[in-house]
Amino acid sequence: MKKYLSRREFIRNAGIGAAGLALGPSLLNDAFAQKPGRRTLRILQWSHFVPRYDKWFDPYAKKWGEEHNVDVIVDHIGLADLRSTFASEVVAGKGHDIVEFIDPPSDFEPSVLDLADINREAEKKFGKQAPFAKRSSYNPHTKKYYGFCHGWTIDPGNYRKSLWEKIGKPEGPSTWEDLITYGSRIKSELGVQLGIGMSQELDTNMAERGLLWSFDTSIQDANERLILDNKRTVDAVKFMTELYRKSMTPEVFGWTAASNNQLLIAGRASYILNSISAYRSAQKDVPEIAKDVYFTPAMKGPKGSGLACEHVIYVSVIPKFATKNADLAKRFLLDLCSNYDRAMWESELYGSPAFFNTPVRSGDRGYPAVKGAKTLRDIHNAWFTADPFALPGEAKGKLLPLKDAEKWSTNVGHPGPANPAECEIFSTYVLPNMFARVARGQQSAEDSVKQAAAECGKIFEKWRSQGLIGKK
Amino acid sequence: MNVRRLLDRESVLAPLLLLPVVLYVVLFIGFPFVMSFVYSISNVTVGNPDFRVTGLGNFREILADKVFQKSLLNTFIFTFVSVGLVLVFAHALAEILIRDFRGKWLVRFLIMLPWTAPIALGSIGFLWFLDSLFSPLDWLLRAVGLLGKPGALFGPMSNLYWFGRPDLAMAAVIGVHVWRLLPLATVILIAGLNSIPKEITEAAQMDGAGYFRRLFQINLPLLFPVIGVSILFATFFTFTDMTVVWVLTKGGPPPHSTQVLASLAFLKGIQGGDLAQGAAVALFFFPVLAGIAAIVLRLVKKAVVI
Repeated sequence: MKKYLSRREFIRNAGIGAAGLALGPSLLNDAFAQKPGRRTLRILQWSHFVPRYDKWFDPYAKKWGEEHNVDVIVDHIGLADLRSTFASEVVAGKGHDIVEFIDPPSDFEPSVLDLADINREAEKKFGKQAPFAKRSSYNPHTKKYYGFCHGWTIDPGNYRKSLWEKIGKPEGPSTWEDLITYGSRIKSELGVQLGIGMSQELDTNMAERGLLWSFDTSIQDANERLILDNKRTVDAVKFMTELYRKSMTPEVFGWTAASNNQLLIAGRASYILNSISAYRSAQKDVPEIAKDVYFTPAMKGPKGSGLACEHVIYVSVIPKFATKNADLAKRFLLDLCSNYDRAMWESELYGSPAFFNTPVRSGDRGYPAVKGAKTLRDIHNAWFTADPFALPGEAKGKLLPLKDAEKWSTNVGHPGPANPAECEIFSTYVLPNMFARVARGQQSAEDSVKQAAAECGKIFEKWRSQGLIGKK
Repeated sequence: MNVRRLLDRESVLAPLLLLPVVLYVVLFIGFPFVMSFVYSISNVTVGNPDFRVTGLGNFREILADKVFQKSLLNTFIFTFVSVGLVLVFAHALAEILIRDFRGKWLVRFLIMLPWTAPIALGSIGFLWFLDSLFSPLDWLLRAVGLLGKPGALFGPMSNLYWFGRPDLAMAAVIGVHVWRLLPLATVILIAGLNSIPKEITEAAQMDGAGYFRRLFQINLPLLFPVIGVSILFATFFTFTDMTVVWVLTKGGPPPHSTQVLASLAFLKGIQGGDLAQGAAVALFFFPVLAGIAAIVLRLVKKAVVI
């Protein structure tokens, strides 16, 4: 055997290697190309918080493909990678045919198809869409449906009944003021804190928006005009500071998306603002805690207003580069809507439909039949009256306060649409920083609100100049 | 054959062998750099790759932005404290590891371990280690009475809340970064120390020079070219890195207590959708790093000539 390579052999072998590297991507491209005579539909979505949902969805999509003579490929990625992945697909001009976001992707509007047709068709077939679902997928300024919203997740209050009972409030908090009055007593007398994030993360963003809305203020008005800098916002910021000082610990400044679940399951939170996923986790891991967890709707503010932000909103887009497969993608999305009873069931009621009046399909649906249920609303009401996933011996009707959650839930951007400015403000955590500066004693509430409003103003101007937000 | 003859000529073969590196630099460093510059003077967003040139407006806005100013300050703190600690610890470790002792291979192996672990994975490990509820470090401090009771050294609260307090969060990201860079810096310094002729050290010892005199008047001056390269490498690596910060704190706790330029560029450019401003933030690396590189390389050259 020869021990050394000659120069020529080295160059030749290196050349072969380089050619292999150069041809590799195109060979891979061919491997992923559509088979002749059969089309391929590619779907990109997050890895669901409830793993059981993905276990149902992937075979469902495959079966749908078989029925329509289509190969369906579903790729799941981490929630944090969705935007960057889709952004690179937009630049590359190729990628998935359907991309499902869990927040409104309004800044991608120029790169996605107008889905007015399926939105109209869906309303014809399934009835009226929840108003905040439309505000999370439709730009009233450009009159374009940049997405199709098929579902959402409720964001209730979760409280430990035994703790609230001990201080004389067994029904849990119904106003933000209750959190200070009773939450501080639970902390000082029973040593258990409240768990409302004040950090640069999703749950904090939702909680603080809910607080602003309950104080009758918001970032923008219904006509997309910036109104953040007002006395009500200042009052809300002062309120949050007091709430933090009396009922919480510095832990809330390091809050992550998992902190709600951790704190509740560890038995170290008297109240959290989260979807029912934390409770579901507790059912599996610490049943005695789960049995003690009860729910409240959105808390009311000083003048009686009470709204909560949807916890997750499922908005699917079809990129412009996927025009060839748009017909398939639209058919898939509409069919998914008509199978939303399964989506609700397989997500263990984490997901709710955007079209409550969708007729329920007949036959074996993979869950115990709900007597007399004609629409998803009937099924929703039945399941939220008697939770089919309740533990043996668990109290009945715990989910009942969430039955009409769409009445007290709304979208990012409320009372206006979820436009790109609102979404950038959400994604770059302008509000959590506004609240934290005051809670940490670094700025007065007035100055912090002014600073946040100035930051928001620049963001609004920028997206206005892009033509995606209406004029002032 | 003409090709054979050509390949036998150094003047042809040398550029040919260098070509892959040049191509790599042009494609993966040069092209993105040019694109960053173009993006930074435009209004491009993640959702709309069609853009128009808008001039230097992005730079003006960023310079006036308080979050940018704080991130710039944080970047310098993060970089210089990390690099300083790495140099001190790496030198101490290298001094120990050039000596012979029992179990030396095990110590070397353990010190090299952080370098073998992917940084994202290592950082997630620290995320758990410093968790606000289940941190074993907090548990240890509570067990020895330094935390969690009135009058305790670290306070009466049950936990330190590493990622909820600005000072501790910054200490955590610096600590994890030092842990990550230490192995390579140690190996480089071991190589440097081994290259110092033993006769010089022995002669100094015979003349009565103590440890610190030998350290500051012999070892460090002779090691300077090696240390210079280590400083350059560690500074570049730290200044442009966002992994540790992003995994541990995402720039928090608010208000942007550990936000650095790299994480801010990602926050604005990808998360916020404003690719143009993200690119403008990222471009601030260039003059700073180019300046540091020029100074360090000049000093190294001077030291080598001496």
